[in-house]
Amino acid sequence: MAAPCTENNHKQGKLEFVLDVPFPSSREASIALQSLSPDREPRKGGISKELTVSGCTLSVRWRADEARILRVSVGSFMDHLSLVMETMEAFGPPVSVTTQTVSSTMT
Amino acid sequence: TTKDSTVSQSHTDMTVVIGFEGSANKIGVGIVRDGEVLSNPRRTYITPPGQGFLPSETARHHRSVILTVLKEALEEAGLKPADVDCVAYTKGPGMGAPLVTVALVARTVAQLWGKPLLGVNHCIGHIEMGRLITQANNPTVLYVSGGNTQVIAYSERRYRIFGETIDIAVGNCLDRFARVIKISNDPSPGYNIEQMAKKGTQYVELPYTVKGMDVSFSGILSYIEVRSGKMLKCNQCTAEDLCFSLQETLFSMLVEITERAMAHCSSQEVLIVGGVGCNLRLQEMMGVMCKERGAKLFATDESFCIDNGAMIAQAGWEMFRSGQTTELSDSWITQRYRTDEVEVTWRD
Repeated sequence: MAAPCTENNHKQGKLEFVLDVPFPSSREASIALQSLSPDREPRKGGISKELTVSGCTLSVRWRADEARILRVSVGSFMDHLSLVMETMEAFGPPVSVTTQTVSSTMT
Repeated sequence: TTKDSTVSQSHTDMTVVIGFEGSANKIGVGIVRDGEVLSNPRRTYITPPGQGFLPSETARHHRSVILTVLKEALEEAGLKPADVDCVAYTKGPGMGAPLVTVALVARTVAQLWGKPLLGVNHCIGHIEMGRLITQANNPTVLYVSGGNTQVIAYSERRYRIFGETIDIAVGNCLDRFARVIKISNDPSPGYNIEQMAKKGTQYVELPYTVKGMDVSFSGILSYIEVRSGKMLKCNQCTAEDLCFSLQETLFSMLVEITERAMAHCSSQEVLIVGGVGCNLRLQEMMGVMCKERGAKLFATDESFCIDNGAMIAQAGWEMFRSGQTTELSDSWITQRYRTDEVEVTWRD
């Protein structure tokens, strides 16, 4: 979504925020990514965020014009992230992809 | 011959869909299996008298209870996640923050359980549950709630909107009037207006605004917001009289546009869905009109009129059986989602 960080961004006065979230497995990090990325930012202008997974870590990078907008977006994201993690804790671990079709072995 | 862990095998031919709904102040999770509602727990975020519900607070409420309600839904249905065939959720329309909260959980469990995801239109959820419960054949549908007011009829793979509000929903008009006179929001402002209306003895004339096939409610609301204080203070009428008069006026308007749509479609059936559809006075007035036309009226009880998870599951069941699913990258929620945007692939 956003362009890679360059010196130009700093010169234009853009604020940046980076968050790295560790997960027990890369599968779970990917699940979190897929759950958290579809919805667009409520206020399109002045903020962008990019989600990526590397290994077991979900990384989120924000770029914003104003601190206030950045704070709101990061705050909302933290609420959403904690809900996703609570859901994974309550209903995980994820089904193994290879045994997906064998319903009788589910615990 | 089957143990608990293999109960699902006896139902392998059947389709089980779990539905998540939370577009307004109700959060519900329901499970449907081939036309049978197996569970439908729900919680309502109720604000103090005089206050409406705001998006962020509503989302916070939903977040705090959704996992509990999900567990209840599975327990009451006696099912395990493996028994579910599809995870349906409300894609829209509705309030942004609450919609996101619910979608997050739906997306996450769909991935955890390895099940396909299905984004459902909230309005169509109401219609499909209404059709299932009442078995109405091909009715003119009046969909009335706090967020929507539409007259809908099915034609060639779309639920076509024949008439609608050009500003606010009828339920929104009622809810905001309840705030003005500080009526309790428990269990809902509309329910309490209905009870008070029964004790009204005087009809107060209010603006009546039908515009062709459509209706408008913001004018009546402004009128009653401005004048009610003085009318009550000067004892010109009671709060009960205002509740009564407001209902009579609003519901007459709804009956008129429903009848107009029926005439266009030569329809002999009316189905009322949505939270305002619980109102017995509305049902009574619509019933009078239907009787005059020799038509039949269908309505559901509050478990299905009011937003619930099973209605999303039911619409999801229809969509899933006709081959639809939603890719995760397409599963974003949207506050605006017209009823006629959806291709009704499950009907001829």
